[in-house]
Amino acid sequence: MTKTYHQLVKNLLDGELALADLPPELRAEGEEALRLAGAVDRTPVALSPALDARVMATVRRHAEAPARRAWRWLAAPRQIELRLRVRPAVLAGALAAAAALVLLVSRPQAPIGAPPDVMFVRFVLHAPGAKRVTVAGTFNQWDQNAAPLVPAGTGGVWTTTLALPVGQHQYAFIVDGRRWIADPAAPAVNDGFGRRNSVVAVTTQGARTL
Amino acid sequence: MIPGRKAGVDSKDAATDGQIVRAVLAGDVERYAVLVERHRDRYARYAARMLGSHDAAEDAVQDALVRAFDRLADCREPEKFAGWLFLILRNRCFAERRRDQRESRLSDGAADAIAAPERSDRAVEQRERINALAWAVEQLTPEQREAFVLKHVEELPYEEIALMTGATVGSLKMRMHRAYDRLRDLMKEHV
Repeated sequence: MTKTYHQLVKNLLDGELALADLPPELRAEGEEALRLAGAVDRTPVALSPALDARVMATVRRHAEAPARRAWRWLAAPRQIELRLRVRPAVLAGALAAAAALVLLVSRPQAPIGAPPDVMFVRFVLHAPGAKRVTVAGTFNQWDQNAAPLVPAGTGGVWTTTLALPVGQHQYAFIVDGRRWIADPAAPAVNDGFGRRNSVVAVTTQGARTL
Repeated sequence: MIPGRKAGVDSKDAATDGQIVRAVLAGDVERYAVLVERHRDRYARYAARMLGSHDAAEDAVQDALVRAFDRLADCREPEKFAGWLFLILRNRCFAERRRDQRESRLSDGAADAIAAPERSDRAVEQRERINALAWAVEQLTPEQREAFVLKHVEELPYEEIALMTGATVGSLKMRMHRAYDRLRDLMKEHV
């Protein structure tokens, strides 16, 4: 039958009690527990010096993969001469949802013959009481200071409009510099690390949340 | 740090992790070597204890660094690259543990101990206990094992472990306390 440690002995192992804090009848059990803890091997582990070179060789290969090159092309900032044709924003819908919403506002008219690769997308967040709201995503390397939203009136609605390259982008809002909020009006994807990101697909025809 | 092994990498690069992440994303792939140099050893012991093998740890760290590069655009908080890398490595370790749950490996330390010929009785006894504990830790569930490694090998407080793993302090303590009981049972011949 398995013998379990007394709760106080577990607290001893956690470092929350000293052996002298245990009642006399638990001292022997406490000493046994400390012998166990004394067998923990904390020897540092040294990895091979060649690891760096192996990682970098793989990284260079991956960097040259066509998909990554294409993404860099899409994401790279470039100067574009724009003549804007603005469509009315559907802000009322966003407010009715009382949530965040990302909306296509307009598409820059590219020079004739050039690929129309940047669209204007409006981000709206209803965050009453917030002192600061920003939006971060794959389009700005998740830089939480790069894209601040500004208050639209006094109703707690924050907005900003960003020029995004055509493609799929993940994003989240950051409220007061610490609270990350996935867009509640848009389906979110797991980022693989237990957090949720919203997704917007920007095409030459418009933008839609995924 | 082993001198001279970082040819081509500026070990004194003063840029923050966040600055380097942004530079890499902008196309300066070679700057990633600075992040590799900075963080390659940070979680090596964690990986070794989680996987029970030095070689497996090296593979896991290498894979995690490559995977971090592949997913760098998903790194929400580039200044916290180290914590993000830890999560990638952790996922890798857990996946491998689940795959190889029935496989147990002798740790490099254990192999060294077996080969070590001349030790006092007391030293031998202590070494046997260390080996026994290493084996016993391998028998824990991945979650219990991680809690034990971070708490007792890395000597981190529960609060910091909670921040790293996303678990609550309460659930970490519960895991840890169950692990103590399991270890006591497994180690009854050695303590």
